[in-house]
Amino acid sequence: MFKKVLQSISKSLQRQTAPAKPVAPEVKPAPAAEVKPAAKAEKAPAESTLKKIAAPPAPAPEPEKTPEQLCGIEPKMNKDQIRDRLKLLYRRYNRAASSLDGKTRAEADKMLTAIVKVREKTFGEI
Amino acid sequence: MAEFVGIDLGTTLSGLAYLKADGNPEIVPNADGERLTPSVVYFDSHEDVKLVGTAARDGGDPDRTIFQVKRYMDDPEHIIKMDGKDWTPSEISALILSKLKRDCSKIVGDINEVVITVPANFNELARKSTIAAAEMAGLKVRRLVNEPTAAAVYYAHSQGVQGRVLVFDLGGGTLDTTILEVVGDNIRILTSEGARHLGGSNFDEILLEAYDEQYRKQVSAALFNDERQRRRSLHAAEDAKKMLSKLQRVSDTIGNDTSGLARIDLTRETFEKLIRNMITRALMLVEQALDSAKLKPSDIDHVVLVGGSSRIPKVKQMLEKHFGKSPKSCGNVDECVALGAALFAKKSARIQEVCNQSYGTLAMIYNAATGEEKVQNSIVIPKNSSIPCSRTQMYVTSEDNERVIEVDITQGEDEDPKYVDVIGRITLEVPPNRPKGCEVAVTFSYDENQRVRALVVDKQSGRSREVAVSYKGAGVLSDEELKRRSSFLRQMRIE
Repeated sequence: MFKKVLQSISKSLQRQTAPAKPVAPEVKPAPAAEVKPAAKAEKAPAESTLKKIAAPPAPAPEPEKTPEQLCGIEPKMNKDQIRDRLKLLYRRYNRAASSLDGKTRAEADKMLTAIVKVREKTFGEI
Repeated sequence: MAEFVGIDLGTTLSGLAYLKADGNPEIVPNADGERLTPSVVYFDSHEDVKLVGTAARDGGDPDRTIFQVKRYMDDPEHIIKMDGKDWTPSEISALILSKLKRDCSKIVGDINEVVITVPANFNELARKSTIAAAEMAGLKVRRLVNEPTAAAVYYAHSQGVQGRVLVFDLGGGTLDTTILEVVGDNIRILTSEGARHLGGSNFDEILLEAYDEQYRKQVSAALFNDERQRRRSLHAAEDAKKMLSKLQRVSDTIGNDTSGLARIDLTRETFEKLIRNMITRALMLVEQALDSAKLKPSDIDHVVLVGGSSRIPKVKQMLEKHFGKSPKSCGNVDECVALGAALFAKKSARIQEVCNQSYGTLAMIYNAATGEEKVQNSIVIPKNSSIPCSRTQMYVTSEDNERVIEVDITQGEDEDPKYVDVIGRITLEVPPNRPKGCEVAVTFSYDENQRVRALVVDKQSGRSREVAVSYKGAGVLSDEELKRRSSFLRQMRIE
């Protein structure tokens, strides 16, 4: 059912910067087998689909997100869905709190606090 | 010579234990007569000496005192500048280990090989830094073992329990939870989960804020304006925390030279409210461990408390409520990790451990049923696989005429590549003029020494590459640098 196509970071980045696929890919000399540190995976920047007609007004400062917004909790979610969502997020951000990347660690701490707030609000304090 | 030695290199306290001839482990006191040594280093400005332990913690200038360096073992940018020299967390840890080695070997004889404990969720760099610290201190690391695993080994040995045990290890800097199964003399680890920056020192900091708030209300000034005053206040907050584990209410008088004294009143109820966020995080880690082991709270036969902060009554209440049974203390909660490490040194063959992390690679996953496709972290060895183990996943190449196959090696269980670490890459040259979709087998193996190897095989050409996966990014010392720093450290006066 699943087909898994190898996708290295360098290829992902190459695609992001050069959307048109070359007809004949450049053949690089193969480096010797090695294990070396690689750059952290980065998210693809969102592509702009609208052309700018005039300079937009200065953006209003974004209101701070609530814990529910940070955790992606929607009003229609029932308690089981919230529980599952919080579990997933806790696992993700608890692990991210030990990431090798400092930015990821800082984001993780903020998210863990939000996760606890949503949990307490939904299921009560321990 | 002490043959089986275990060291708990803790965030706040460190200890060394050895296995006696009767098969029971024993803590070896340091030269100051203490069973545990505070993990604190003081750089004296008058004499060329490094103080380690209580003397460093209590007497020195805070600007020349290093506390809780374990928290930074995976931070290559955390450099301590002292007297014109840059010190890494690994080197500071080496000073602590040197003190333990030098002091304890006077009692039990030469110490060469040791088992050192680390938090369950210590990442690759933190583990490497710990091994480097030991090598700089002249110690060969027989094995690194997770702290809750060591505690569980000691608990199983000393209490003779059987069945499923959940170890809740709330130490000075981290929380670890391990679930294991004891059958006869054999121990099988089912899962180990850890949370960083969730430990006693976090509670101290929270309590310090409460001290400061009350102080400001009374004298309209800050409780501390420099590091020396802050340290003194933190020490008072830590003492109050310990008292609140025994009493419902504590009163303290605190102040500084410029603004005078104030009386601080704290109740256990207030303290519990202040740390509630942290306790909820701790419970969520327990739930995660149960999920990982596919168990319910009722499947656990024994809940065991380890680590100084497990003395906090709220922690016990939370676990009792969750499991419906009273948690048991692991004897001396501060010493059982070191004691277990010494036992582990002897019994490791009887202890079935698991892989601490998931290892995988990045792949575009097409779901033929739904037509969805996305780049994911594709796991080859799932976390908690019994070790040693070897797993293979098949992939296909993404482009026509692909000359070099690149396989990124990821560490982490999240599907989203943003939340995993890429710790290495293998490149394999393949023949030209092939269409995309050629099969590639990626095999990872994980041995009992927590070493990972990766093998990439191009099925069509039969070409392959196998390498040891090892994080070599910033913060990892070269062999030459390690040797140089080791010899520098051996000439140092450490008291």
